[in-house]
Amino acid sequence: MENIVFYLMEAVILISALLVVLVANPIYSALFLVLTMIGVAGIFVSLDAYFLAAIQLVVYAGAVTVLFVMVVMMFNLQKDAKAFSRGMLGNVLKTLSVVLIWSIVHTAITGVFSDFGRGDLPKIEEGSIAMKSLATHLFTKYVFGFEAISILLLVVIVGSVALAKSKGGTHD
Amino acid sequence: MIEAGQFDVGLNHYLILSAMIFCVGLIGVLIRRNTLVILMCIELMLNAVNISFVAFSRYQANNDGQVIVFFVMAIAAAEAAVGLAIIVSIFKRFKDVNIRSFESLKG
Repeated sequence: MENIVFYLMEAVILISALLVVLVANPIYSALFLVLTMIGVAGIFVSLDAYFLAAIQLVVYAGAVTVLFVMVVMMFNLQKDAKAFSRGMLGNVLKTLSVVLIWSIVHTAITGVFSDFGRGDLPKIEEGSIAMKSLATHLFTKYVFGFEAISILLLVVIVGSVALAKSKGGTHD
Repeated sequence: MIEAGQFDVGLNHYLILSAMIFCVGLIGVLIRRNTLVILMCIELMLNAVNISFVAFSRYQANNDGQVIVFFVMAIAAAEAAVGLAIIVSIFKRFKDVNIRSFESLKG
C-alpha cells in the first residue's frame, strides 16, 4: 500500500515538474508548481514528517505560489514566444550535461544506498511526541539558526518593499 | 530480471526521486528564458534537496534533518520574495521579463 502511494506521488511530482519546465505560459507553470509542491507534501507524509508536510502546503503551495501568480498577473505577458533558449545545439548540450550529472548521481545512489529497504526503517516517536522533539531541537540546538532566520525575514521584508518601489536600473 | 522486493520503497527510491526533480529543475534553469519560470525552477531544486534531507532524517531516526528543512523553507520563501521584487523592478525598467532583454547588466 505504501509502495503504491509512493509511486503515485512520484508520478504526479515528475509529470508536473516536467510540465513546469515545458509549458510556455508562466501562469500554467505556476499552477503545475502547486501540484508539484502538493506531491512533495505527500512524500513528506510517507516519511512521517507531518509537521513539514503541513508547512510545505501552507508556505509553498499557499504563500509562495500565490506570490508567483500575483506577479505573473501584474505583467501583461500576452505571448511568450521566446520562452526557450535559441539554438537547438545549445539546448541539446545543456540537457545532455544535466543527464550526465544525473547518471553520476544515480550511480552513486544505487551503489551506496540500495540496501536500505522500508523493512529497516528505525522506530521513531509517534504523533505529538515527535512534534515535541522537533520543537526541542529547533529551540535548543538550533536556536541560533532560528534567530538568524528571523533577522533574515525582517531584512527581506524591508528589502523587497524597497526593491519593488524603486524605478529599476542604477544609471539615473 | 526482477529481484524479490525490488519495488519495495527504500531510501534509494527517495534519493533518486530527489535527484530527478533536481535535474528537471536544473534543465529548466538552463533552457528557459522567462525569469519567473527560472525562479520557479529554483524552487523545484530546493524542494528536491528537502526530500533527500527528510529521507535521510527518517532513515537515521534523527530530527536534525527536519530542522534544516524548516530553515531551507524559510530561506526559499525569502528568496522568492526578493526575486519577485527584483523581477517587478526589472519589468518596470525594460517592459519585459525575458533574460535576453537585460543580459548586459547595464542600466
